Amino acid sequence: MMKVTKILSVAATMLAVAPIAAQAEDTIKIGFVGAFTGALAPYDQPTLQGVQLAVDQINKAGGIDGKFKIELITRDMRSETAQSAVMTQEVIDQQVNVLLSPCDVDPSVAAGQIAQAAQIPTIAPCASTPTLPGIVGDYMFANYTADNLQATALAYFAQKQGYKNALILLSRDTPYTEKLPLYFAKAFENKGGKIAGTVEFKMGQQDFSAEVTKIKGISPAPDVIMTAAYEPDFPAFIKQLRSAGIKTPVLGSDGIDSPTTLGLGEVAEGVVFSNAGYPSEGSSLAKFNADFKAFFKQDPSAVYTATGYDVIKVIEAAIKADGDKLDGPSIRDAIDNLENVQVATGTITYKGMNRVPLRVVALNRIVNGQKTHVEDIVPNGADVPPAE
Amino acid sequence: MEFFLQQFLNALALGGTYALLGLGLAVVFSVLGLINFAHGELMTLTGYGIFYALLFGVPYPLALIIGVVLATGAAILMERVAFRPVRNSSGTTMLLTSFAVSTILHILFQNLISARPKAIAVPNSLTGAVAIADMQIGVIQLLSILVTAVSLLALTLFLRRSLLGIAMRAAAEDFNVARLMGVNANLVISTAFGISGVLAGIAGILWLFQRGSVDPLMGFLPVLKAFIAVVLGGLGSLSGAVIGGFILGFIEVGLRAYLPDGVLAYRDAISLTLVILVLFFWPQGIVARREAVR
Repeated sequence: MMKVTKILSVAATMLAVAPIAAQAEDTIKIGFVGAFTGALAPYDQPTLQGVQLAVDQINKAGGIDGKFKIELITRDMRSETAQSAVMTQEVIDQQVNVLLSPCDVDPSVAAGQIAQAAQIPTIAPCASTPTLPGIVGDYMFANYTADNLQATALAYFAQKQGYKNALILLSRDTPYTEKLPLYFAKAFENKGGKIAGTVEFKMGQQDFSAEVTKIKGISPAPDVIMTAAYEPDFPAFIKQLRSAGIKTPVLGSDGIDSPTTLGLGEVAEGVVFSNAGYPSEGSSLAKFNADFKAFFKQDPSAVYTATGYDVIKVIEAAIKADGDKLDGPSIRDAIDNLENVQVATGTITYKGMNRVPLRVVALNRIVNGQKTHVEDIVPNGADVPPAE
Repeated sequence: MEFFLQQFLNALALGGTYALLGLGLAVVFSVLGLINFAHGELMTLTGYGIFYALLFGVPYPLALIIGVVLATGAAILMERVAFRPVRNSSGTTMLLTSFAVSTILHILFQNLISARPKAIAVPNSLTGAVAIADMQIGVIQLLSILVTAVSLLALTLFLRRSLLGIAMRAAAEDFNVARLMGVNANLVISTAFGISGVLAGIAGILWLFQRGSVDPLMGFLPVLKAFIAVVLGGLGSLSGAVIGGFILGFIEVGLRAYLPDGVLAYRDAISLTLVILVLFFWPQGIVARREAVR
């Protein structure tokens, strides 16, 4: 066994070293520093699968623009921000052309700052904090539906339903759980709605009885409750809310797009939530899901598979657009000018968006324990609250 | 008054879960002097046990039992494989071993099962509420209080009436003297881990009923709370762990219910400050162990 491993590793080294000189012109190196273990693994593991599928499809078809085979270099940063910087340095030393950063804003900033200094375009596949590119600099791009974009779509929906008073439930533990409801409040107020109250929770608290008792006492009673809480907080919250006899409709965000929410039974009926896309028949997302199943022999575990796929398609489109130039500044400019690129979740536009893309937001409603499609919304840029 | 009573019941339910968890830690600590930080992973294992049992079509009550049995077996196995070889080493070695076991299990869950949460459907009958006078108390909360009471009673009976239980209490009092009296050390320690496994399994089920899913890192936060409960109650004391669990539950719910909105964000800091304050007056915890450190 030992021997076999040794031979394999020698062979692998030779394989890895030999082609560099020969293929330098024909390969684009994409580094992915992701959280493949630890607290962020639930997001980065599916993202990696989507990335792998896109790389495989493109390489089988002869590479980007029929020229550049993609070489994917992955590193696990174990959900630790400090490791994110170390691993980024490591992949940059291997001269990657483009970097993908972890699924949360803090480690993405750590990775992005190093890549920024090296002029390597960096895309965060699923970090959704809209301030991220601004914090890091002009080489940092977001990919996922930004929090303020999602919140605006939910505010449109709330207004269309005729809700006048909304209550927001937020937690200051993460930017996502805090800012998304605040963006919603802003967008909802801009559309003439009122915020009846704000209730705070602590992530990981098993017990929402105190919060529910507070909500019960708010007057006038809110027409709708909006939150960005997700597992395990959201299930605990909605159960205790409903068991206290409060029937107010609940709006959620993409964090609850999970089998757990669908498995909650009666209490989750009618909950409406936003996410990055709904696989209606004939849509690009449905096709992606089918391709995914054929490739991995399993269904996608989360929409992050599709958004991971999207990132590679964005890079492909950028390189096609910049006339096959692989240097950092050219790719950067090309991504910044992309418009209506066809990706798995729909289309994506970077032009004029300050590196936080405009993409579709899908609204879903839970009916009989199934996810059903309400509508797709591309919010008007002017309605989207500024990132803060 | 009604608000107070409602919150009182809430605190009782939450404190009960903490008490069960704290007791699991304390049982092991009392005989081995080890805080087992892999205790939370036993809860996670219960969850996966239930998930796979349901997947294979096992009836719901049986699946719950399978979950608890799995946690119990895993706890005993954990002791055999990881802790027995380092039993006579320093406390630090054992503590680090428990962190290692915990991390290894995290990674195994993430890579062999899934990093994504797995849904466990909770029967609709458990999501309702019971009206007591003007109050609403959730079935799950009521169940938590009931299960905690029954578990505590059963454990007390076991420790007071059975020979093994008496041996365990003797070992908790002074392990070396107990061994001189002919108490089998391996058996006592295995039993302690077994009991901690059962308690983790039961607490795990109550936790799962609230959250409706199991994920690899699920056990981390509860074990932290249990650790606080155990320290608060007095390391090594079983009744202390229970009292500590309930106090923590009351502090948490009380702060959530009565703190003004502006300072709510600091409530963990406030609750831990209160814990430090208690320790300031009772440095050994509320129920101090009467003997000197071994």
